[in-house]
Amino acid sequence: MIDLALSQNKEIFVLNLGPQHPATHGVLRVKLLMDGEYIVSAEPVLGYIHRMHEKMGENRTWAQFMPNTGRLDYLGALSYNHGYARVVERAAGIEVPERAEYLRVITVELNRIASHLLWFGAFVLDLGGFTPLLYAFDDREMILDLLESVTGARLTFCYFRFGGVYNDIDDNFVPGTRAFIKRLRKRMPEYHNLVTKNIIIIKRLRDVGPISAGMCRRYGATGPVARGSGINYDVRKNEPYSVYPEFDFDIPVYEDGDSMARYMVRMDEIEQSMRIVEQALDRLPDGPVMAEKVPKIIKPKPGDYYSVVEAARGTFGVRVVSDGTNTPYRLKLRSPTFSNLSLYGEAARGMLLADALALMGSLDLVIPEIDR
Amino acid sequence: MENLIAQFEAIPALAVKEADYPVRGYHLEVTVAPEAVVAAAEVMDVAGYTLEAITGIDWLGEEARRREAGVKARNAAAVKAAKEAEEEPPEPETADLSGITEEMEVVYDYTHYDHLFRVMVRCRVARDNPGLPSIHQVFAGADWHEKETHDFFGIVFSGNPDLVPFILPEDADYHPLLKDFST
Amino acid sequence: MGKENIPEAIVRFAPLDKLLGIGRANSLWPMTFGLACCAIEMMAAGAARFDLARFGAEVFRPSPRQCDVMIVAGTISKKMAPAVQTLYDQMPEPKWVIAMGNCAISGGPFSFKGQYGIVEGVDELFPVDIYIPGCPPRPEALIEGILELEEKITGNRRWPRVEA
Repeated sequence: MIDLALSQNKEIFVLNLGPQHPATHGVLRVKLLMDGEYIVSAEPVLGYIHRMHEKMGENRTWAQFMPNTGRLDYLGALSYNHGYARVVERAAGIEVPERAEYLRVITVELNRIASHLLWFGAFVLDLGGFTPLLYAFDDREMILDLLESVTGARLTFCYFRFGGVYNDIDDNFVPGTRAFIKRLRKRMPEYHNLVTKNIIIIKRLRDVGPISAGMCRRYGATGPVARGSGINYDVRKNEPYSVYPEFDFDIPVYEDGDSMARYMVRMDEIEQSMRIVEQALDRLPDGPVMAEKVPKIIKPKPGDYYSVVEAARGTFGVRVVSDGTNTPYRLKLRSPTFSNLSLYGEAARGMLLADALALMGSLDLVIPEIDR
Repeated sequence: MENLIAQFEAIPALAVKEADYPVRGYHLEVTVAPEAVVAAAEVMDVAGYTLEAITGIDWLGEEARRREAGVKARNAAAVKAAKEAEEEPPEPETADLSGITEEMEVVYDYTHYDHLFRVMVRCRVARDNPGLPSIHQVFAGADWHEKETHDFFGIVFSGNPDLVPFILPEDADYHPLLKDFST
Repeated sequence: MGKENIPEAIVRFAPLDKLLGIGRANSLWPMTFGLACCAIEMMAAGAARFDLARFGAEVFRPSPRQCDVMIVAGTISKKMAPAVQTLYDQMPEPKWVIAMGNCAISGGPFSFKGQYGIVEGVDELFPVDIYIPGCPPRPEALIEGILELEEKITGNRRWPRVEA
């Protein structure tokens, strides 16, 4: 394919994809050099939704930055809450009560399922199938109802506090979540019958957009992208945090590295997240949801602090530098899709344009989180 | 880990320090000179690590703050000693803020897919003409991180293939995360 | 001259305008144009539970040339502003704009002293018909915004107003 695309007697032209294009899931722009339908080179251009999160981190207090984390990756906002809460708790030495950790894990995993469901719908929509989007949103709304009853928001959650969570669950949450899991367990085979076994989907995804394990390492890819390339890396297992070590769950890993592998990783992760939620509901301890002695004004000791969590799209890291005041001196957000997308230029070379869009969809992009 | 420390010391690194992981979130803190960042990246590459992020920190006024804090502490001690000896307190010292070279810092975060070990490589550069070599030949993913750091701090990574405004608008000539930035 | 001396009009445009207005209001075609978080709620409004199709506004078009309402759902960065302006200019008349969410209204949470990256409100670029506050607004709010827009086009409220 590459030979074909690079042959001298063909006419090469530039195609500008985005920043407004339905397949880029937002405002990503890709500068493409095309030879007919084949891509000679692809260069993503970022920054169309740069919202100055890191600058904002430096001009407000530690606690005031928390709502921003819900607007970074709005599909998996609770993981981002978690990542930021954890680094500040680490810096300020705040202990979190066990019940709060359980609630964190339950809500984060429900949020992960919601994120994967939306990705599933939108990804198949990219490939031309409209129906799964409606099914996926139907299930997703159930999760949003549950999360709304706890957090008060549908999308841009700001539920976590330093030292716990701000609100305990109500009486309907546990039975509601169990009923939802029962329902989704019934729906997953339907999704597999409708989409995974669909011959068009298989033809569009299998052996398309291969990403090797070596490539993942060179670009720092994490999350389902790395796990679809045979890398068994998940922060929840490799660097256990919160109460994850107490649960029995698997990390789905596929060796093929194609778009189908990444699709399967996410579909399997929905099941694993349901397992975690079930176990957490079974063992949910009583007690407070907020640590008792959390200082009103947080002033961590000077120095560097780093913490990572597994978000729906990969490793989300926060590096904070404290100078001992109530404002971060520097706040760096390491976003997973930034690294995952950086391999796009190399992976898309020589592909058909339509396949490259399938590859882009399989990376599961949330643009505001890339641009920050 | 001893192996890694020995390799970093052979680069040579300015300092290799084990960090308190539960408090800091990383295991090894390596300080290198700007010329040695590529060598440090090669050590990480050979050991099978992956690059998680590159970022900058602007330390504008750090040295001045440190000197002022030192002088303040000395003054306070002198006043206290004078009070105990029932003497007149001495004339307070003022901080000497001359000859300060302002600095910026570039931080590289490395991690390993198979075992839990986080390495943080830090490198100080002069603030008035910040520059250091690019490591994109070693880790291809560094290209974007370096562009981003250039956008935000104006740090020049020599050897980076295309160091143009990346996240900021194409015609941006400002570096918003500098501490003296204002609109 | 008295009022009674005005002759009857031979050609009447007002009823035609009214008729066209009813047609336009009941088949608004929004643009598939998501900028940030609000776009997800816009998708949710169009999907299974909220079903924007009940109000005739479900035909999301990816091309601005086929749309008559632009839902600005999200933050407009300075880098994106020229593209948003171009999209607006490409839409055929008559066209309407809904500013969905606080970012599109005023910059929302990203408007602070010394900010360097965003346009503080889409009305700095072009006129806006309906403002829907929220961060992000719920899908119900978007539906109410569409109904408000219908009322603006036809002069009549088609659906009963929900009392709080």
